[in-house]
Amino acid sequence: MHEVAIVDALIGQVQEEVRRAGASGRVTRLELSIGRLSGVSVDAVRFALELLAPGTPVESARVDIRQPKALCCCQACGSRTEIETVDCRCPRCGSSEITIEGGRDMILESIELEDADP
Amino acid sequence: MKIVAAKKILNANAQLAEELRARLDAVAVLGVNLVGSPGCGKTTLLEALVAELRGRLAPVVIEGDIAGSIDAERIDALGVPVVQINTEGACHLDATMIGAATQGLDLAAADLLVIENVGNLVCTAGFDLGEHVRIVVLSAAEGDDKLVKYPAIFRGSNALVLTKCDLLPHTNFQVDRAAADMRRLAPEARMFQVSALRGEGIPALADWLVEQHAATRSGA
Repeated sequence: MHEVAIVDALIGQVQEEVRRAGASGRVTRLELSIGRLSGVSVDAVRFALELLAPGTPVESARVDIRQPKALCCCQACGSRTEIETVDCRCPRCGSSEITIEGGRDMILESIELEDADP
Repeated sequence: MKIVAAKKILNANAQLAEELRARLDAVAVLGVNLVGSPGCGKTTLLEALVAELRGRLAPVVIEGDIAGSIDAERIDALGVPVVQINTEGACHLDATMIGAATQGLDLAAADLLVIENVGNLVCTAGFDLGEHVRIVVLSAAEGDDKLVKYPAIFRGSNALVLTKCDLLPHTNFQVDRAAADMRRLAPEARMFQVSALRGEGIPALADWLVEQHAATRSGA
């Protein structure tokens, strides 16, 4: 359950970004990107948010999570195929002469804040 | 109002890790993050390496465990400066913990900082501890399918050490399969087969650490 530590860091990071932007107020939406091969479970992230968000500015935010796939690059057939899990075989030709790119990063993409009162 | 952040989550951990790496560089210390599942033989490997590196690299050690100080006592018995971190339930170490632990160590007098992570193949993968190299330990007893089942930890590692290789004849562990999977997950990584109890393979791993230490110094 390292997702709790990750979400704890995320909430701190959101507060820091809001402060740096000179903004304030409740967060209405967060966009995250969590790679399929990051080793982080999106379900566990959502569970950790339920646990940690109350009492913070992200308490009532909608959280949209994109899960980019990784690329399997095959040296045998030259294909570059999107993959969601690692099976160490090219999904096109079955060759094991592959390398895997991407799909590892966890990114805080954007933060939306409720409009300040005029 | 929308703020476009486009920053890595755990950015704060990454920044702390970079600061730690710079501190290690400044005193020519090679940082090693030793990861692997509970019981794979991390501490026994470390004991064998300390003995092999005597007179070549002066080590200091940070032991990470959920509770207790059994591992730190084993390292202390070898006369090696050691700090125990108890995570009290947390399944991994992070850069903040390492920053605090290094306050209790004389890094300037050392060549090598080994951080033995909490036994875990999942959660430890996400946290940069400021190390220069990450070594993932896998024992013959665990099975050769672990690379495919826990790819993240293998993918980000600089070396794979297969431990308990003296048990290979008694298992169905296929070294070729593990080696081939590691090449796909981490093409640049080195692989070592060892039996820490018998000392087999330990000199080659120690030589590699000495090389890595030299590379860190010349890069600093």
